[in-house]
Amino acid sequence: MGVILMFAYLIRRILTTIPVIIGVILVVFILTTIVPGDPARIMMGQRGDPETIKLIREEMGLDNPIPVQLYDFYKDVFTFNLGRSYRNNQTVVQAIVGRLPVTATLAIGSMIVAVLLGVSLGIFSATHQYTFLDYISMFISLIGMSAPVYFIGLLLVLLFATHLGWIPGTGLGNGEWIYYLLPIVTLGVRPMALIVRLTRSTMLEVIHEDYVTTARSKGLKEKAVIFKHALKNALIPVVTIIGLQTATLLSGVILTETIYSLPGLGRLSIQAVINRDFPIIRGVVLFMALVFVVANLLVDLSYGFFDPRIRYD
Amino acid sequence: MKKGYLAVFLVLMLVFGLTAVGYVADSPKYGGVWKDALQSNPPDLDPAQATDTTSSEMIYQMFEALVEYDNEGNIAPLLAESWDIDGNVYTFHLREGVYFHDTIEGGTPTANGGREVTAEDWVWTFNHICDPATKSPRAYFVDMLVGYDEFREGSADCLAGVKALDKYTLELTIDRPFAPFLATLAYNTFSVMPKEDVEKWGEDWNFHPVGTGAYKFDSWDQDSKLVMVKHENYWMKDNAGNQLPYMDELEFRIIPDYTMMWEEYEMDNLYQTYVDDPFYNNAKDRENYMQRPMLGTYYYGMNVEKEPFKDLKVRKAMNYAINRPALIDLVMNGRGTPAKGVIPPGMFGYNPDLEGYSYNPEKAKELLAEAGYPNGFEVTLQYNTSKGHKRIAEGLQAQYQQIGIDVNLKNVDWGTHLDSVERGEVPFFRMGWVADYNDPDNFLYVLLNSENIGPKGNYSRYNNPAFDEWTKQGRLQTDPELRKEVYSNAEKLVVDEAPWVFIYHYTTHSLVKPCVMNYELPSFGQYSNKFRNVWLNK
Repeated sequence: MGVILMFAYLIRRILTTIPVIIGVILVVFILTTIVPGDPARIMMGQRGDPETIKLIREEMGLDNPIPVQLYDFYKDVFTFNLGRSYRNNQTVVQAIVGRLPVTATLAIGSMIVAVLLGVSLGIFSATHQYTFLDYISMFISLIGMSAPVYFIGLLLVLLFATHLGWIPGTGLGNGEWIYYLLPIVTLGVRPMALIVRLTRSTMLEVIHEDYVTTARSKGLKEKAVIFKHALKNALIPVVTIIGLQTATLLSGVILTETIYSLPGLGRLSIQAVINRDFPIIRGVVLFMALVFVVANLLVDLSYGFFDPRIRYD
Repeated sequence: MKKGYLAVFLVLMLVFGLTAVGYVADSPKYGGVWKDALQSNPPDLDPAQATDTTSSEMIYQMFEALVEYDNEGNIAPLLAESWDIDGNVYTFHLREGVYFHDTIEGGTPTANGGREVTAEDWVWTFNHICDPATKSPRAYFVDMLVGYDEFREGSADCLAGVKALDKYTLELTIDRPFAPFLATLAYNTFSVMPKEDVEKWGEDWNFHPVGTGAYKFDSWDQDSKLVMVKHENYWMKDNAGNQLPYMDELEFRIIPDYTMMWEEYEMDNLYQTYVDDPFYNNAKDRENYMQRPMLGTYYYGMNVEKEPFKDLKVRKAMNYAINRPALIDLVMNGRGTPAKGVIPPGMFGYNPDLEGYSYNPEKAKELLAEAGYPNGFEVTLQYNTSKGHKRIAEGLQAQYQQIGIDVNLKNVDWGTHLDSVERGEVPFFRMGWVADYNDPDNFLYVLLNSENIGPKGNYSRYNNPAFDEWTKQGRLQTDPELRKEVYSNAEKLVVDEAPWVFIYHYTTHSLVKPCVMNYELPSFGQYSNKFRNVWLNK
């Protein structure tokens, strides 16, 4: 019965994604249409031949009336034809697929680092409240929350790559894991800081709940009390934040990829905006919206695991 | 006596030893991988589409045109061994033994199979570039070819003015005299391409380029790395008859941040780097820091159709108000030449005696008062977002403040900037121009002739019939002395009428590792370097 309910919930959620996507398309279309700067003109460089500009605009469909362009865009999206980049003629799908592994590695890696370190430090701080180590942990998380990604990135390169020479500074080399280390840490610092603070505060709330006192009075070991009874309940807000942080990661990835010269979706999107490469902008935004929707769906589904009282009806 | 022999022997050993060391150091070595960085992913490896310097740098390694510029900016033969000019007919005698790349991308055979380039390939290439379906942004550079308009309009199947006379002779006929025609042909768009490969790849040709250059395309990880490998069947040899190129591979990493580029250079991961201003003091005294004037001019355009710049006195005052050498020293580490006019040093027609505008704030104030602005005025300068442009704008803002002109700064991205400036909406704007070809036509006609008002380059909307006439004559006239005279007249006139604030002429620079040999800075800029002669002494 539970599985059927969950399946029905899943279908409902997937169906609600459709209006979200339609809305995202509309917003992206409007934004890319009203922004000043003609992609055909940018392609021509500083000295443009009006006849060729006209030819390029015709081919791009930019001289069509706005409603026709919008209709074409919807049609293209729902027929899975996202077109080709105005800038270098690569298909949008190729452009996204080619860069996805880098961004996915960064996002997943940094989230793993953030969750592991964040939850551990948060639990430690909560169970050692007002001790010196608690203050240290809070201080680190404060720095992580406040320092911009760009600043952290440059500092890490300066220390570990330039001065110590332990880790490569930029690029991907031949794809070795070591190249991802600094970018993952850079990107993971902020969500980690947030998770530390949130875990600490929710844990502090939970460990003072009656059921935790009951567990202790039953003679359970402290480890079992914390990890089996307290943590599971304390994690629900943390899981919510992890879902929301996906969006932050996707924006943070733009800076991280620029600092470390990594060929990911962040760099692709920023270049596309500069060059008014509408097909790429639309494709990447659409893709990121989908990722965001899916991440939040997974978060919603995971609530049931952490708290069986949550139902999917 | 024995001691004497010994001394002579030792001296001889020393001399021969040193000579041998010198010989070893000076003899080119084969092999090695050139490691370099680009600030952005090159958008185009298709010569017909490229308009930016990053793409050009890559194209120069893989493709070749009929002629090229040497490092001093003079026209030199490339795939054309020689040429005859008879009125409007240019006959090119093509080099024999030039072959297209036989493989790319790690050994995949090309569709052309590595065959020899003939005049028919040039006929096909010119038709391909000028075909409206190709939408080449620079096809109009050769719009003087006979039959260009008919071909573009569809009333002719091909360009009538491009003919293969025999296997190694190509004839190009133009419909009017155009003195910089040869210079135009050195532009990277007009590189020979193999029909078979262009047609095989169609829309994806940009990602599988095949040319005749010293290096063949190997791989391109978008936004990450572009690799080229040696073309074993390359036609060119060095002065000693050794096969070129020397290096096995060229590897260009894409590093968008100049700080990171510098750090990578310092970690010996790059052989060459751009030196951004914060690192200049560190780099300038190093043995292999190179710098030279470049064919480019940086200016602030004043829209002569808008107030307050309709008034000539205001425009002159804007020029007298700024201290160019101080600005260049203070803001740019001295990396620029104060501009007296439009034409940059090193270009044919450059006039070193041009008076221009010296720093004279008193005269500027007088002119402002005469123009009806005794207390100055307020104006907004629009520039495209960049740290360098911002520093210069702030420097000049302070200088204009001295004569009562309040300059507000507004930065927008390049697309917005270009759009609004060329539509004539912006009264005061930053702009710069780097030569497409080494001829004053590319500056005076393109940027200031009234035929080019708007997107074609005249953003100040300057319009003077005498200037128009001179710059047109410069195109038609073939006698160098007469051309020099008309361009000198035109430049004097435009400087006097000051539609721009003439600020500085660009310099180009490069910092290379000591092991890099035969590396030279071309006058067109670092981007136009060709690596066929460069070798690594390691």
